[in-house]
Amino acid sequence: MLELSQYSLIGGLILVALALLCYILVLTLGRSVRRAPVMAHAGGSSGGSADSEAGRGAEGDGTSTGVGAAQPRTMAVYGTYLTRLALVFLTACLVLRTIAVGHGPFTNQYEFSVAFAWGTVAAYVYFEYRYHVRTIALLVLPIAAGMLLYALSVGATANPLVPALQNNLLLTIHVAVAIVAYGAFSISFAAAVLYLTQPEEGRPGWPKLELLDEIGYRAVIIGFPLLTLTVVLGAVWAEIAWGSYWSWDPKETASLLTWLIYGAYLHARVARGWVGRRAAWLLVVGFASVLLTFFGNLFFSGLHSYAK
Amino acid sequence: MSQDVRERPTESDTHQSLDGLDGGPAVAASDVTERIWRFFTSMRTGLWLILALGVLSLIGTLLEQTPAGLSADPAAYASWLASIHSKYGGWTPVFDKLGFFAVFTSIWFKAIMVLLTTSVLACSVNRAPRLWKLAFHPHTKMGETFFTHAPLGASVVVPAEPDETMDYVAEVLKSHRFRTVTDPQDGEVNLYADRFRWGPFGTVVAHLSFVIILVGFFLSATTGFKNTGLVVPVGSTVQIGNGTGMSVKAVSFNDAYYKDGSPSDYASDLILYKNGAQIQRQTIRVNHPMKAGGVWFYQSFFGEAAAVKVTDGAGKTLYDDAAALQFQSKDGKHSIGKFDIKSKGLTVYVVDVASGETDPNLKAGQLQLEIDQAGKSEPVATQVVDQGAPEKIAGLTYTFERTRQYTGLIVAHDPGAPFVWVGSTLLVLGLFMVFFFPHRRMWVRIRKTSGGSEVLCASTIKRDLAFKPQFHQIISDIQLAAVPSDTTDGAGRNDA
Repeated sequence: MLELSQYSLIGGLILVALALLCYILVLTLGRSVRRAPVMAHAGGSSGGSADSEAGRGAEGDGTSTGVGAAQPRTMAVYGTYLTRLALVFLTACLVLRTIAVGHGPFTNQYEFSVAFAWGTVAAYVYFEYRYHVRTIALLVLPIAAGMLLYALSVGATANPLVPALQNNLLLTIHVAVAIVAYGAFSISFAAAVLYLTQPEEGRPGWPKLELLDEIGYRAVIIGFPLLTLTVVLGAVWAEIAWGSYWSWDPKETASLLTWLIYGAYLHARVARGWVGRRAAWLLVVGFASVLLTFFGNLFFSGLHSYAK
Repeated sequence: MSQDVRERPTESDTHQSLDGLDGGPAVAASDVTERIWRFFTSMRTGLWLILALGVLSLIGTLLEQTPAGLSADPAAYASWLASIHSKYGGWTPVFDKLGFFAVFTSIWFKAIMVLLTTSVLACSVNRAPRLWKLAFHPHTKMGETFFTHAPLGASVVVPAEPDETMDYVAEVLKSHRFRTVTDPQDGEVNLYADRFRWGPFGTVVAHLSFVIILVGFFLSATTGFKNTGLVVPVGSTVQIGNGTGMSVKAVSFNDAYYKDGSPSDYASDLILYKNGAQIQRQTIRVNHPMKAGGVWFYQSFFGEAAAVKVTDGAGKTLYDDAAALQFQSKDGKHSIGKFDIKSKGLTVYVVDVASGETDPNLKAGQLQLEIDQAGKSEPVATQVVDQGAPEKIAGLTYTFERTRQYTGLIVAHDPGAPFVWVGSTLLVLGLFMVFFFPHRRMWVRIRKTSGGSEVLCASTIKRDLAFKPQFHQIISDIQLAAVPSDTTDGAGRNDA
């Protein structure tokens, strides 16, 4: 069962890499054929909601192009399906491992990393489905691939649960919620980077600044309540297992830092002088903090230092 | 019949705040009070305070923090500082001066917390009335320019009288779970519809819950008690103290391991007494604490204890208990315990070889006793004793009976915790309210035209793009409802 899980992981990694390749090809091939035909559609005034949604998606995307651009379009569709298939493989990897070890697969760096990659890919699949923006894949999929490679490097050994982790319910919920939040934050990070690397007036063929801003925000309003829930569930567990709800453990303070940065972002987005680029910078810093929180176990000692 | 749907970029959206906590009414900064008020109600003040708190958290994450309880002991603190000197070098005294090794109790942290709490409260007080008005006394009638300039707008011409049109427009909106408020005037009808009007209150809930959590933290730090090292040798009964009148007896302790040597279970069978009477018995484990009268007992650590019996010349027992070997000698080779014989003013140190170590002078089954008299700098006696063999040392008889295990407990009573849980629950609820139930508002104007009525709809969508498809669905539902159909009773509406 563990072996099968490992194969699923490798399959997922290969699929993520292939999907990334597709999206890169879309971007490079798509440069020569701009999306003029799509504009007429997006500007159309006979307003069915589905039409305008699709129009907006195509307009903001720059990867799906009109007549004479069959190649990039096909590539983009391949990219979409490969990513979804990768999600299936990673889900299988986690499910098989859960069955094999008998608890949520969230107890060591290997399992965390696979779960992080899963969260990232899942968030991407959702946001692509919802907003039709594939360009963010160029940043999101490397994060997922990096996490999977890291997982492979640390090895898949399954250790038995030490007493502190023997709380199946809280272990599963606390980490699962964190993983979804981190996935959402990786989307907002990707959107922010695409936002910041464009000039004020935008860049032809790239998603519009306005849409990237919106995606960054959408991802945070999913991620932030879930991060809050993660910290609260962590506090609940800490009170049961460690004797107090908050101990200023390095992982706790790092998650507090992450929480504060995204909290700052939510306020920045409505504060004068902070809308736009500064808010986008906060998303970049926020994701750096997510990574610090995630890898914190390796650098700091503390209560969270379980199996490494 | 015609329909015209229009969308504008969100920049042109009329000002509608996410949570009603941003952008205040212009207050003339004529005097100091107003200036202060404006400072604390400013979104940017809050933002900078959050970021400052973030910087402190970053410092607290990256730099090692003083272990709890150490700062009260200057000598221990100095040696701790020395131990981290290799890590931070010349920066050590600088960081120490700045309070960076105890960031979360530093003056910086406290000051920012006070400012932030003030800001949160001021913003909530400032905005709550406006949220109330938006929810319960909304503008039901908008100006003509709103309908032409709103980011979402549509107009539908239908062959029905305004009154009648209003009825089914209201019905369509109700079917989309909107609340409707109508305001008929001569020749035209104004209709306001909204959904989730309670959503924005989530922001007040979330902000106030943050304050409740801080109150909890404050109470946790200032009230209750926490003993992180209550040592109970198996078979012994130990007082909890702290005014609880409780004592706890360890009936047994068990540690179990997996095949690979990593621990699988630590369990202590405890009996709890209050004022001498048993009130509870429970086996506690990591993740399974015992709770009694607001006091929590956690399994924390364990080790060896030495059972020693001390009698005087007349055979009277002065001490008969186990001393936990819970301390380590500096070189780590010995584990040390101690007990007092109060009536004689003696402190007895019990020394054993630490597990995995060897000492030629202290064999298995042996124990070294060091007996100190209060007020004397040199020990009265230091002697190695064999298990089961009574030894007369300095006028008293000491018997090392056997080694037993001890269990180490955390005992805590935290009156702040309930505040933290109430605050946390409200925080999560508040956030879900704000983000997943955005206040959706729509204004409708129905005007009489020559052939029937014109329905104008407009809405704001700032930070709520998800509303767009629903808006369009509502418009097409209005349009459908206006079309007479042979098979529905809607035909009756087509008299005009």
